[in-house]
Amino acid sequence: MEPLPPAGTDGSESLKVRDRSSAAKERHSARAIAPSLVDREHPLLGSRIAVPRSVSVIRPPSFSLRTIVSGMTTLFGYRDLLCTLTFFRLAIRYKQSLLGWIWAALQPLSLMIIYTFIFSRVARVTSEGIPYPLFVFSGLLPWIFFASAVSNAINGLIHYPALLTKMYFPREIIPLSYVLAALVDFAIACVILTGLMMYYRVPLSWNALYALPIVATLSAFTVAISMFLSSIQVRFRDVGVGLPLLLQVGVFAAPVVYPLSAVPSRFQRLYLLNPVASLIENFRRVVLHGSGPDVGVLITSGSISLCCLVLAYGYFKATEATMADMI
Amino acid sequence: MFDLQLDHVSKRYLIQYSSHSRSPRWPEFTSLYKKPKEMWALRDVSFEVAEGESFGIVGHNGAGKTTILKLLSRISAPTSGEIRIRGRLSALVEVSSGFHPELTGRENIFLNGSMLGMSRSEIARKVESIVEFASVQEFIDVPVKRYSSGMYVRLGFSIAAHLDPDILLLDEVLAVGDIVFQAKCLDLINQLRAAGRTIVLISHDVGAIQRLCDRAMLLHHGRVITIGTPTDVIDRYQRMALDGEDGYHVERDAGQKSASCLHISFAAADQEEPVRTGYPMFARLRFRASEVLENVVFNVLIYWPSGYVCAQLTTALADPLLRIEPGSGEVEFCCPVLEIQPGLYRVDISIESNGNCIDRQQRCALLRVDPGKVVFGDFYIDAVWRIHG
Repeated sequence: MEPLPPAGTDGSESLKVRDRSSAAKERHSARAIAPSLVDREHPLLGSRIAVPRSVSVIRPPSFSLRTIVSGMTTLFGYRDLLCTLTFFRLAIRYKQSLLGWIWAALQPLSLMIIYTFIFSRVARVTSEGIPYPLFVFSGLLPWIFFASAVSNAINGLIHYPALLTKMYFPREIIPLSYVLAALVDFAIACVILTGLMMYYRVPLSWNALYALPIVATLSAFTVAISMFLSSIQVRFRDVGVGLPLLLQVGVFAAPVVYPLSAVPSRFQRLYLLNPVASLIENFRRVVLHGSGPDVGVLITSGSISLCCLVLAYGYFKATEATMADMI
Repeated sequence: MFDLQLDHVSKRYLIQYSSHSRSPRWPEFTSLYKKPKEMWALRDVSFEVAEGESFGIVGHNGAGKTTILKLLSRISAPTSGEIRIRGRLSALVEVSSGFHPELTGRENIFLNGSMLGMSRSEIARKVESIVEFASVQEFIDVPVKRYSSGMYVRLGFSIAAHLDPDILLLDEVLAVGDIVFQAKCLDLINQLRAAGRTIVLISHDVGAIQRLCDRAMLLHHGRVITIGTPTDVIDRYQRMALDGEDGYHVERDAGQKSASCLHISFAAADQEEPVRTGYPMFARLRFRASEVLENVVFNVLIYWPSGYVCAQLTTALADPLLRIEPGSGEVEFCCPVLEIQPGLYRVDISIESNGNCIDRQQRCALLRVDPGKVVFGDFYIDAVWRIHG
């Protein structure tokens, strides 16, 4: 039954009413023809926007370029999860702790004091004319970023097996979120570094902006190592046991507590092939010394990091599909 | 137009066994060097689900139902073959397993919602509705570690229910929550069906498959046995269950007891016909006694597939109670109208004397009821009718 137009209105009101009901009828008949393109209203779920559905294909896992590309596309679709997870990681970390965010600064500062005592007072290591505490702190920041990101990330996947066996989301988000959280800690520590530089009256030059691409490269390398190791950790828990040891030794394979000049010059090329070592050295150079970076070395470590990242991501995506079976 | 297509999909699991040979006091160094054993959970499975269709998957434990669910929801990948999915697919599984205990209910909604593939804006729009559906309004800003287990599960389910997928996977999830919440969930599933969403239901419960599905598939040891209407598929499934189990002869330790149940069989009025809802049924229980027994009661308990008692045939109402002589005999129960719905039921039989159980055979036989007079609900109630006025 068509409702009658109320008295005192012209025909347009009733026309509108009729329009709406015929539109509903059209929608009803359209549903039978192409339901996926129709705006379907649902009392609980709310109305949805009509979008043509895309077809996704699930294939046996393989190590291929196609896997990498489709993995990145899916990852982009889940970018909100990466942000949420990183944010909560930071929020949870210092929940129910008295000092809270102060810990982010306290960790590198305490290491700085210890190393200063050992290597400056006891062992008398040179520091290229820069006060040793500042020297070691500037090396410790990128190192702590790398080490804490990797050691947290590798346990991320096995920490909550239920996440892997009960629901799907791109698994690389878990190691990635740990790296991002460590990056935020790094940024906080950088503020303290600036404070220390002011205290020791070391001037900050524009060259310090080179730190941005340096940190970006270091992050890429950190992501590569985190993804590679966390994928192995799902299968062989040896990684989780061996890594802390490796990291304790690893700090001495980079110019953190000693300057690059302490490395015999014939080994320096080999030594700088390690992206962590060359990036820490360049970070200190642009921030503390205010000079330009060693571009050749940077390009080398940039290419190494990129290669590692592509290979590690490909490997991670190829093994991702069976993680739930292996864990 | 298909929504879901499986093309010759196989899934192999590699299982690492630990050796049993050595004493458990000396754990072996590691089992990772051993060659793992292969187990094919799915073998060459192909099927299509059309848009807006409800598709049921039945099969015994280990038939590969859960593996299919895992493959479809991308938790695991096939060993060979291809799966094509059109649109957003989501599984109503235990979402609460992804909760972080330190985060509040609201924060967990955001975290888990985005894990399930919702965008932040979408979650922000739905958060009130999620909270209301789970009925956790007062506790929404409390860390979920302080939640009761019921609240925990309800919140998880509520998030998944608000995903609004094109294709919904259900895996016997309706066991969560209390009755009120279950009613809400069933309501939701019906709304989704009415809205033209595609549903894949994986269940042992043939009743649910019959009620909710347009088509069904039977899996057995990872292979597709048949795809067709729910009635046909359930029929095939039940016949497979009956194979080798029809009629159960109990001959063990007959000597030690004063009486024992030997055999139970069910038949329609005509021996050739199957037992049907709404028609007569005869149950014959054979027994053997080694002495005279007074005040004897014979019981036949009929169980739903879910394990709950459905109905009982008993001689307990006889007055006076029965008396049996040594030797073997048979009790015949005659039901003029069989009131239980089509399905496969498990049966217990027992003999009591003076209130003591003499012999009890648990789940010893199967009763298969075929469709007869079709009605909705769990029981057929025989009735006559008359119109006044």
